[in-house]
Amino acid sequence: MTPSSRFPVFAIVFGIVFAVVYVISVDRNYALFTYHPAINAFGAGVQEGKDGPAMYWYGWLATSGIIAFVAGALASFLPGSLTRRLWAGWAWVVAVIVMAAFAWLLRNYFLR
Amino acid sequence: MNTTTVLLIIHGLLAVALLGAVTHQAVSVWAPARKPAGSFIGRVRSVPGTSYGDAVVVLYVLTFALGAIIYADYRIEVRTVVEQLGLWSQNGAFELKEHFAAVGLGLLPVYWYYWRQPLAPEHARTRAAFTTMLAFIVWWNFLVGHVLNNIRGFGS
Repeated sequence: MTPSSRFPVFAIVFGIVFAVVYVISVDRNYALFTYHPAINAFGAGVQEGKDGPAMYWYGWLATSGIIAFVAGALASFLPGSLTRRLWAGWAWVVAVIVMAAFAWLLRNYFLR
Repeated sequence: MNTTTVLLIIHGLLAVALLGAVTHQAVSVWAPARKPAGSFIGRVRSVPGTSYGDAVVVLYVLTFALGAIIYADYRIEVRTVVEQLGLWSQNGAFELKEHFAAVGLGLLPVYWYYWRQPLAPEHARTRAAFTTMLAFIVWWNFLVGHVLNNIRGFGS
């Protein structure tokens, strides 16, 4: 399979934006939808649990995936003169920072 | 044996395959064999990392998808008990697992692009970095999942 010349720009921007939006979504709880596992039901946006816990993880993934896809698609249509210097390493550097941020956000689990 | 248990076992088997593939690739980029291998370790180091790129992506997506399906049962049947037992560090480790898995999922398109054939020599370090990231995520998630399952496996 031969990807389009625009694909690397899409993939790099997708990776960066996905990680950043995901950590923000988790921290601020910007879930696109809520899943209620006890009653096997979905609800739009962030909702309180119904007959059990509410699960936001799927909603965070959806929020991040959609925003990252749109950002990647838009970036891939930028002129090559703007995207030529985009360093692929930003995708893993940002991912490392986001993973460290999660370790910090969840530190209380390990400090009790 | 209920459906969730079957899916959990398949999830675990896929994770083993993914662990092997990404570990082979990580070893091949960080400690490649310089001469024909005779020993077991040498043969591990001498595998071509290129041949694992597509497999890692497919196995990661399948493992992730199955994990996402059984996560709902975990949330009700396992996490509740882990919280009642006061196993906070184990609970936190699983929280990190779900977030690390998501971050890894977002890296798959760029990982796949830089591992596609023919390999660009100038991107060797980029490939090594992405493989290392995914290897760390997969190892963390595998070990944490194993520990949590030992605390309270499905069907227990």
